[in-house]
Amino acid sequence: MCDRHNKEGDCFEYVESGMPRVPMSCKINGEIVHKMVDPTMTLLQFLHKDMSLFGTKEGCGEGECGACTIKMNGRAVNSCLVLAAEAQGSEIITVEGLSKNGELSVLQKEFIKHDALQCGFCTPGMLMSARALLDKNNDPDLEEVKEAIAGNFCRCTGYFPIIDAILATAKKEREGSDHE
Amino acid sequence: MSKQYRHIGQPYDRKDAQEKVTGQAMYVHDMELPGMLHAKCLHSPHAHAEIVSIDTSAAEALPGVKAVVTGKDAPYRVGLYMVDKNLIASDRVRYQGEIVAAVAAEDEVTAERAVSLIKVEYKPLPIIHDVDEALEGKILVHENLHTYEYMEGVFFPQKGTNIASWNRTLKGDVKKGFEEADFIIENELSVPAVAHVPMETHVTIAQADPYSKKVKIWSSAQSPFAVRQLLAKSLGIDKSDVHVIVPYIGGGFGGKAGIHLEPFVTVLSRAANGRPVKLKATREEEFNLLPTRAGMRSRFKTGVKKDGTITAMEIYHDWDSGAYADYGVNVGKTAVYSGAGPYIVPNVELHSRTIYTNKVFSTAYRGFGHLETHWAVERHMDYIAQQLNIDPYELRMKNLLRAGATTISGELIYESTGNPIDCLNAVVKEIGWTGRKTDEERALEMKTGKVRGKGFAMLQKAPAMPSYTSTAAIMQMNEDGHVKVMIGAVDMGQGANTIMAQIAAEELGLPIESVEVVWDVDTNKHPYDWNTVASKYTFMGGNAVKKAAKNMIQQMKEVAAQVLRCHPDELTHGDGYIYHVHHTARRIPFKKLAMGYMYENGNGIGGPVIAHGVYMASGLTNPDPQTGQGRPGLVWTFGAHAVDLEVDIYTGEVHVLKIASAFDIGQVINKKLVDGQVLGGVIQGLGSAMIEGYKFSPDAKLLNPSFTDNKIPTAKDLPDEIVPIYIENPQNDGPYGARGIGEHPMISVPSAIGNALYDALGINFYKLPLSPENISLAIKNHKKA
Amino acid sequence: MLSKFNYLKPKSLDEALAYIKENPGTKLLAGGTDLMIVLRRNMEIVDHVLDIKDIPETKRFEYKAGEGLFIGASVTVNEISECDVVAEKYAAVKEAADSLASYQLRNRATLVGNLCNASPGADLASPLLVFDAVVHIAGPNGIREVALENFFTGVKRTVLVPGEIVIGVMLPDVKAGDTSVFLKQARIKGHDLGIAGVSIRRTGEGKLCVGMTAVAPTPIRLRNLEESLQSKPFSAETAEWLNEEIKHHIKPISDIRSSAEYRLHVSGVLAQKGLMQLIAMGGK
Repeated sequence: MCDRHNKEGDCFEYVESGMPRVPMSCKINGEIVHKMVDPTMTLLQFLHKDMSLFGTKEGCGEGECGACTIKMNGRAVNSCLVLAAEAQGSEIITVEGLSKNGELSVLQKEFIKHDALQCGFCTPGMLMSARALLDKNNDPDLEEVKEAIAGNFCRCTGYFPIIDAILATAKKEREGSDHE
Repeated sequence: MSKQYRHIGQPYDRKDAQEKVTGQAMYVHDMELPGMLHAKCLHSPHAHAEIVSIDTSAAEALPGVKAVVTGKDAPYRVGLYMVDKNLIASDRVRYQGEIVAAVAAEDEVTAERAVSLIKVEYKPLPIIHDVDEALEGKILVHENLHTYEYMEGVFFPQKGTNIASWNRTLKGDVKKGFEEADFIIENELSVPAVAHVPMETHVTIAQADPYSKKVKIWSSAQSPFAVRQLLAKSLGIDKSDVHVIVPYIGGGFGGKAGIHLEPFVTVLSRAANGRPVKLKATREEEFNLLPTRAGMRSRFKTGVKKDGTITAMEIYHDWDSGAYADYGVNVGKTAVYSGAGPYIVPNVELHSRTIYTNKVFSTAYRGFGHLETHWAVERHMDYIAQQLNIDPYELRMKNLLRAGATTISGELIYESTGNPIDCLNAVVKEIGWTGRKTDEERALEMKTGKVRGKGFAMLQKAPAMPSYTSTAAIMQMNEDGHVKVMIGAVDMGQGANTIMAQIAAEELGLPIESVEVVWDVDTNKHPYDWNTVASKYTFMGGNAVKKAAKNMIQQMKEVAAQVLRCHPDELTHGDGYIYHVHHTARRIPFKKLAMGYMYENGNGIGGPVIAHGVYMASGLTNPDPQTGQGRPGLVWTFGAHAVDLEVDIYTGEVHVLKIASAFDIGQVINKKLVDGQVLGGVIQGLGSAMIEGYKFSPDAKLLNPSFTDNKIPTAKDLPDEIVPIYIENPQNDGPYGARGIGEHPMISVPSAIGNALYDALGINFYKLPLSPENISLAIKNHKKA
Repeated sequence: MLSKFNYLKPKSLDEALAYIKENPGTKLLAGGTDLMIVLRRNMEIVDHVLDIKDIPETKRFEYKAGEGLFIGASVTVNEISECDVVAEKYAAVKEAADSLASYQLRNRATLVGNLCNASPGADLASPLLVFDAVVHIAGPNGIREVALENFFTGVKRTVLVPGEIVIGVMLPDVKAGDTSVFLKQARIKGHDLGIAGVSIRRTGEGKLCVGMTAVAPTPIRLRNLEESLQSKPFSAETAEWLNEEIKHHIKPISDIRSSAEYRLHVSGVLAQKGLMQLIAMGGK
């Protein structure tokens, strides 16, 4: 279809509606994927549309709320501000990659135990920020935990249970019970 | 208190936690249906204008566009209490941000592109910026106000004005009351509009069957049955033709109560030949299109005796409801029975006016007007204490409601209504209140650059809902003796599903793992609940679930009695069995009764065990149109907050050390979940107190429609400590004595902080937010004066 | 997003320069934290996006004694914050880095991106100004160097001309005893744009340098103020004087974030506090 004729007349001329797709290969939750991506697509949109990984959420689309936080090459980033094309060669972990073989990770179990969630919409992003923190610093103090999750808005919990869950996870992981 | 219960009082993990921590929980934001189209909207750039013309031809010609809709395609109005809102602006726009046109297309990018091709010609009209301009009445937001349908006898629109409703309370004789007073003290206070900020924005998928009038809706909504009712009404179809499904929702806070995008998206689906259409609000639309908490301005005039006893109060609450006032009028009406705080006021004249202006419109918000009225009344009480040179604690103790007293709407308080005095005592003890600072103490502290202050404030709320509100629960037993509970309320994180499971498990004597509340509220399959709002669901739904459980046991007993050859009254239940009260060995397990009972020879009796329970809010009346007297509040929860804070007098920054929050909730059913409501609500209250507030340009355009300039508390904005305290004076008609608490933690947090700031600085604040800028400049200007 | 763009990630500076010469209007992508907002809000329609993160010159992040610290255009704000040399020698830069947006954004945002965006409130600008940073710009005619103090020309405007790419920023080396602070006032304690930002540096020789953001159309170095400070003792009384004096050197405006009155007031407060912190750190 072309820009001139949408409904009137039969137009059999094909016109590419988007930009040419570019190849992008990366590793998501341990699996290598090869896709052709629209260069204007964000990594968050890619996770939803091309990977059907809906755990990562869109809260604002502007990098303010943190609901779209994932781990990219070991760092917590807002996936709504990353172009899918930029993920070429990266290693990405989303909330779906936290549990293994049907076992919830310690972090997820502590979130449940401390009731660090209510509506659950900020939770995947919050878990990824927590995971990124604990992977770099296995003994964070209160201020360090707050700094790590300050970019994750939560309207429901008041943050205290989330902070408790992260500190408890740090303690458990240091003591050697399973680490994800 | 809870020692005799097996499940009530247990801090169980919430039932939906696992799905939420794994990313499995599905929200409408994530949903995709076969053939689904995506919608985008065009918004008015003007606060008040006539729509001269709309040219959608370029949008319609864009490949991939399946429907373009403007006001002429949707000549419908919608409203629950006041039917004043067009689905899409037709001849005129009344606020900057209002939808003027919309497109449904194969993907979001195409829809966005199509919207950018729509040309609209406007003729700007004079703008009403605030309530005072609106009250002058020179310009009308709704010229045809007098033609709108509304709930008569409950709301009172004033023809030829911008007053959507004028509700009143009249009790005693205020003139006489003021004459009896030793002092008459006046204050004016205000709060700005704020946004709910659910993390999941509003989103709706509508599928309008092209061959009939049937409509199927998936929506991030708090009230599927209200959506059904209002959608049917606004489009002129039968309620039975509307099917609403609500899966997990990412927060509501009142902003997803009632109806919002659903009728409008239905029109788009119809225009697209019945294909499902999904409209996902962007964060900007969440701020700028979708409704807010109303801004509000209060004027208090109180007569008191020297010893602090209140003799009379004259109050004006003026609500800035923006361009539309459907839910706004109910918030306004609620002030009629609680807008003077939890006090004994023998003579009162209260005016609550819901007013139109040309700004984003207002709706329900956690607290339903109480945070606003209590900002005013609790600051006012503190001010009175200052003027009389009385300890603000003593002033409140003199006037707080107690058993035997009546409220301003004439409702009698019983022991079992709850006790605000217990709440106040608990919080002042927790922060170590020893009386106000003296000026000398304050001056000395100021030299260090940091000043401490303590303050407290009372709160109260009862649900604001129609007087005949009801709810129901259905229970079914599976073959394995496990029970499914179906309710009509939505668990948006407040924990309703877990609480109902606990109540059902308690009544049935089953382990908590054997009881599940079914998710995905579906109006075709689940029983009715009015609206998941008002902190009433534990009370109402809990009572309904208890009855359903009792009904289930009774059904099983009747079949078991036949098998055991005795009377049903000789039977009892426990541990998953129905058994004889004396010959306990004569028993039948639930699972042998779940699908009816089969005798050894193959005969079957009974059938699938399906039980139901209903609860009707009893004895409620509408407030009298002239005097506001009546019994509109189903169940009152009283509470108090006390705050201990420190102010940096140079930057104006406040560091809150502790907030103590006490609530008389009758019976804690799950402490972990209740703590969640308190912590979350206090922080949301802190946001209103210190950070949040809509800002408008001189031409009434929203200046902060994004997180860049519309902030909410983050993990770095917390007090050092929040101490929840639960008072348990039982509510005799509540399940296990319980009352509601969902909204209450937010109410009066700003007032407590405002009062603590007075203690710290000797400065009275009358407006929110108490931002570093506002505090710092107040200190600077106070020094000069 | 209405833009339909081509995305390219060249492996060399020459390839990048050639592309942007061929395709005027090409937007450079480093962290994307500003560009993605521009694209999402359709503030500009973009046809070409060039990702600089594979260009070797932009990845350079090294300190050479005697020369200084070179921060390439692809270096992220968190990488700067986590660098020992920065913490030790350019403390105000680390403090500003830590205050910028949220942790997730700092994992992507780049220092050079913050400068090129040229917001009057660019958090990293005031510390770089007091350290006499020099911007290294690659163009069709080779590399040119511009002192940061001359880099900003107006609100969101710089000296860059089409066809140029900033490859990094050089902070000259500092002598022993060099101390610095950065203070920022925001509306909340969580991540926020600054209402006012102040950087004060005391060189190893005892000279005070002052830079500010969000109080003028561009980030500014307060040279006249520095002159007046030269003759004053390094004391609490001077800090108190500074609180008042700095207000005569800035002309902040009222905007959605703050009134001019508060900006003025808090600039004084931060300046006094900053100088007191430097005094507490020691020095002659």
